[in-house]
Amino acid sequence: MLFKSDSIKEPLGNSIIQMNKHISTNVLVTVLITVLSGCASLQFADIFQGYTSQMKPVKAAQRQGEFVKAQSILGQRSASNGSYVLSLLERARLQFLASDFQASQKNFAQAYVLIEQQRNKAKIQISKGIEKLGAVVSNDNAISYQVPYYEQGMLHSYQALNYLFQHDFEGALVEIRRANLVQENALKAYQDEIYKAESELANSGMSSGSLDGTYPSMAESIGEVKNGFQNAFTFYLSGILYEASGELNDAYIDYKRAIEIYPENHYLQQDVLRLATKLGMQDDLDEFEQRFGSYQSEKSESEGQVVILFEQDIVNSKQDVGLNLPIGRSNRGLKFFSFSLPVYRGALPQHSNLTVSNAGESYESNELVRIQSLAAKDLQDQLPSLLTRQVVRVVAKEQMRQKLSREAGDVGNILASIYNIASERADTRSWSTLPDEVDIVRMNVPTGKQLLQVQVHGQMQNIEVNVQPNRITLINFSAIGNYTGYQSINL
Amino acid sequence: MNKLALITTLGLTLTLAVGCANKSVVRYGDATAVETTDINFGSTDLQKVAAEMTDSLLLSPVVGTLTQNKRPVMFVERLKNKTSEHIDTESITDSISTKLLRSGKFRFVDMGRVEAAREQLKFQHEGGMVDPNKALQFGRQIGAQYMLYGNLSSIVKSNQDKSDVYYKFTLRLMDLESGLVEWADETEIRKTKVKESVGW
Repeated sequence: MLFKSDSIKEPLGNSIIQMNKHISTNVLVTVLITVLSGCASLQFADIFQGYTSQMKPVKAAQRQGEFVKAQSILGQRSASNGSYVLSLLERARLQFLASDFQASQKNFAQAYVLIEQQRNKAKIQISKGIEKLGAVVSNDNAISYQVPYYEQGMLHSYQALNYLFQHDFEGALVEIRRANLVQENALKAYQDEIYKAESELANSGMSSGSLDGTYPSMAESIGEVKNGFQNAFTFYLSGILYEASGELNDAYIDYKRAIEIYPENHYLQQDVLRLATKLGMQDDLDEFEQRFGSYQSEKSESEGQVVILFEQDIVNSKQDVGLNLPIGRSNRGLKFFSFSLPVYRGALPQHSNLTVSNAGESYESNELVRIQSLAAKDLQDQLPSLLTRQVVRVVAKEQMRQKLSREAGDVGNILASIYNIASERADTRSWSTLPDEVDIVRMNVPTGKQLLQVQVHGQMQNIEVNVQPNRITLINFSAIGNYTGYQSINL
Repeated sequence: MNKLALITTLGLTLTLAVGCANKSVVRYGDATAVETTDINFGSTDLQKVAAEMTDSLLLSPVVGTLTQNKRPVMFVERLKNKTSEHIDTESITDSISTKLLRSGKFRFVDMGRVEAAREQLKFQHEGGMVDPNKALQFGRQIGAQYMLYGNLSSIVKSNQDKSDVYYKFTLRLMDLESGLVEWADETEIRKTKVKESVGW
């Protein structure tokens, strides 16, 4: 790596070198530039421009329903870039919305391979060390993106839909099993990781309490979710697919997991009651009837079921927030440093429900997952480890500034200060093309060709479905900004 | 400074020289060699499953009586993939049916090629190219007496230090007329992977 130092291309590096001849400063700057550019894990734009602002035009195009244009704005990242996995996820989601299921499946599969590779890597990674060195002199965007559990769950859920819409039922079930594995692993890792991150933070001279009062509270974004990975959408999708393949016991377990997260969801209540009756789970049935009211089966031979998964809007992006926080150094007492950290600002936006009517009866959608809440909760859990890295970074940058100011005078001081301010960017990376909220509607519909009238945001849209007796027809309906569209399939 | 330049040049030359010597190479390998590239379902698992299942089927006393004086006709339904991997289960059933055919004790009908056969017969009768007296007749195919079907399921566990995957493969032979399952067997495979402690 150090051999590359004679081919510095960045103008900042050149100008600094010309201004002073001291070798140690030279070495410092060279190391800095090589670490930043040599590894190519970072695009130059990532150092000085956050992910949120890079994604803004993409999301604008997505809101217009111009998914192909959004993909071209998204651009290509090289496979060595630290955000490559993330760019695959964004692209695959846009391709899914554009109904290009084959391409979407390919990109999700590639992302999965990379996530698995990451998971199976050695416990101590040398390349990680170099990345972290890069992050110390620039910002967290230099660290390769770790796909959070809730995003991995969504990856497999959309991949399952990709397989379904290509009529590969068995492939869809494989993805569902993977999604369940992700949630199990998340549950196991969760407590460990939080404990470890908090003790590391304490060693660095801060506690997570030091954020209270300065860091904006995300309580409103988080809402009522208990953890950042349990996703009722994934459980529900899994339940529908198992039910459609006749594995009612598996379906029942998934519906029960979903209802633990969303007990007030009317359709989930009906599902657990129906399956508990069918499977003869008398104890469960008594308990559920006490909670949700009694149930009488309304099954008729000439009816089928329609399930609508209703995706609303786009999840918010993380914002950059600047803070002044004291850091306790063992020999020099407290000193204030300026930090930047990612945050989700503001309350959860309220979405209007979707109303579906058919043959005089109308049904309102119920919330199944709030991805915004999962994302905010996940960020909150990550804060201790983010802060630890931030402390190391501000201290290192301050030492670099002092060194440059000693050896290159005012010019060095000013250049270092400008660099420190310009490069101090929070890591705002997250899967930004996901929906904000997913709702469900489940209804019994007479068999044959049926016209469903969907009312969303004051607009009417007709969906024509061909319902088969005792089968489930699955519809994935998206309403993003001005765009509405759907895909349907008979399971 | 001169010394530094010299060392840098030397280092660069060395890296380039090593880099040039490190060419990509194509080799032939043993198709039945044990493959342990990663923990996922691989060629060794496929070969093990297919070999054990056919051996068990051919050696079982029940099948011995079935095939004593005749060669029963079978068809392979499919293997249900209940694992968390996208596995080409047709490839496993292909291996099994090929081995069974090779043993000479069974005959097979291939449900996957019914349409192609129908096309050909249709062409012989309606295409106008084939002598109608020599065209093959419809409705003369022999129906299967036995059905082969099965499941492939897995349990996957992992923690920071290792991953463990367990595969269970079940195969059954059903008499289509009576509905009786005449034979069944299962094969298990366990693989564990311990993570290396230091790596790139």
